[in-house]
Amino acid sequence: MKLSQDVLLGLFFTVIGAVSALIATHYPFGTSSRMGPGYFPIIVSGLLVVTGLLVLLRARLASSEPLPVIGWKPLVIVPAAIVIFGLVIEPLGLPLAVLLLTILSATTSVKFRLDWRAFAGSLVFAAFCSVLFVELLGLPVPIVGNWLQAVGSY
Amino acid sequence: MDIFSGLILGFSTATTASNFLYCFLGVLLGTAVGVLPGLGPIATISMLLPFTFGLPVDTALIMLAGIFYGSQYGGSTTAILMNLPGEASSVVTTLDGHEMAKQGKAGRALAAAAIGSFFAGTVGTLFIAISAPLLASFALTFGPAEYFSLIVLGLITSMVLASGSLLTAFGMALLGIILGMIGTDINSGAARYTFGSPNLLDGLDFVVVATGIFGLGDVLANLENERGRVAGVAAVSSLFPTREDWGRMFAPILRGTGLGVLLGVLPGAGVLLASFSAYALEKKVSRRPEEFGKGAIEGVAAPEAANNAAAQTCFIPMLTLGLPGTATMALMIGALVVQGVQPGPEILSQQPALFWGLVVSMWLGNLMLLFLNLPLVGMWAKLISVPYHFLFPVICVFIAIGVYSINNNVFDVYLMALFGVLGYFFKKLGAEPAPLILAMILGPMAEEYLRRTLLISHGDATVFLTSPLSLGTLVVAGLLLLSIVSPRFRRVREEGLQEAD
Repeated sequence: MKLSQDVLLGLFFTVIGAVSALIATHYPFGTSSRMGPGYFPIIVSGLLVVTGLLVLLRARLASSEPLPVIGWKPLVIVPAAIVIFGLVIEPLGLPLAVLLLTILSATTSVKFRLDWRAFAGSLVFAAFCSVLFVELLGLPVPIVGNWLQAVGSY
Repeated sequence: MDIFSGLILGFSTATTASNFLYCFLGVLLGTAVGVLPGLGPIATISMLLPFTFGLPVDTALIMLAGIFYGSQYGGSTTAILMNLPGEASSVVTTLDGHEMAKQGKAGRALAAAAIGSFFAGTVGTLFIAISAPLLASFALTFGPAEYFSLIVLGLITSMVLASGSLLTAFGMALLGIILGMIGTDINSGAARYTFGSPNLLDGLDFVVVATGIFGLGDVLANLENERGRVAGVAAVSSLFPTREDWGRMFAPILRGTGLGVLLGVLPGAGVLLASFSAYALEKKVSRRPEEFGKGAIEGVAAPEAANNAAAQTCFIPMLTLGLPGTATMALMIGALVVQGVQPGPEILSQQPALFWGLVVSMWLGNLMLLFLNLPLVGMWAKLISVPYHFLFPVICVFIAIGVYSINNNVFDVYLMALFGVLGYFFKKLGAEPAPLILAMILGPMAEEYLRRTLLISHGDATVFLTSPLSLGTLVVAGLLLLSIVSPRFRRVREEGLQEAD
């Protein structure tokens, strides 16, 4: 069987359904009149497994769309940049986190050049976000992160 | 409370200086973000959510509604000027709207959309004011069986209206239900699918998942064909419809509004259905069907009116039953829950100022849109032409800050990144995420209502068929499922939905 949209999707549904059904067997099932926490999950997961298998069967019977090309570069870098944002927002503070996220995500664009303009732009944007979200909207996000505060207090 | 005293209460709530200002701000921001290509209402709302956090509940809700209309309207502006529909329901607007724009009639197309939307918005608001109190008092008599059947209908409608195959949509809905079950089971207190993580005990935040799939997922997909993006924005000249335009769009706006008002109430995907059927209806009754697709003003006015009327009336199931009809409404519920409001039939009796203030500000928001959009259309056109490589880092930052600020928890940020990647793959695999999103919020409700129904009936599932209302709802759901087998409906569905991608 060639990898096509349906094959992947069917596998995805089947695996997720099977795993979630397996986990749900640890929850009390109960009876129809007194549904336990496992009752609904098992039914839904079971249906998902069946759906996944049907999608696989469909892939077998009729040729589905071939898998489109995946653009790996943005797919890896942009979510990674967001995770980094999450990692640094509390230790380093909002402006630095924004700066990092802006520049890192921008590198995935074909038009990106790391020059002073890109840097200045992200610097201005980071300052803008800090004023907007922390000063104007009052979100409880640190401007100066707790690591920097610790460093500053020495 | 009768409608008039309700409306007066609403006016006094909506026209306080701060509420009025935030309604305006919501409409303005919503349009500004909504016109940006590739940002539909869901991504727009989740990006702008932090702006409502510090506000009192009524102001926050009014501003959210303003953002919602603004983003809807901004989406049609982009559809007309750039041929890029922000969401599925503005796909039909591109057919004739962009064609008109290419013929140099962009201004008139925008005006037709604005006028149609305003008229429909007014009728839709009146309809809410009249029918929502009735429905809410009716809804208080609904038992768990009726609620469960309504949820089933909503899920089935969203599956039938999703692009791609029904089987795939079914799988996506099931997946959404499983995601919705993560967290503490409200009935038994058991922690389900939490993998021992305390972050998952409260369940996945719906806004986080929606932002990941729609906001980040779209960014990832757009980055791929960055080179292929057409940047042509049609120029806008005269904004005033000619006398002939008025004559041609009068009846279509009326018909579109009627259709939209009725279909919007339907749980599932009323807005989408409304704009498609309005377009199809106009094409059928028109004396010049051959002009459709080649820049017929009826083809812009009718679906835009239907779209907006449905966008209003889809608040009805949300406000009166607590059941979201569309993925966007599900997000609105998520936003309300963040504010500590649980939508449902009690909202009208317990928080009348909130309800009526929202109804009136819907109308005010529409009025503002009319006066905001036409004069500012030059500015919107400039915003549309901002190149994507400047835009997407800004989008990433805004959604990251937005998601973080919901619970001040970085875990949500990581979760959003994960769902962004998933959203991208769903797109690649031809699986539309709308049923998943809706199911995620409807799934836990379905479980709870099913449990209560079976508890009352001692495990006897035939109650779903013996209650007339529940039976009726399930029959409608069944007919919808059957309709997809009919080759004629199938063809229309495929034609209409394939371009939505």
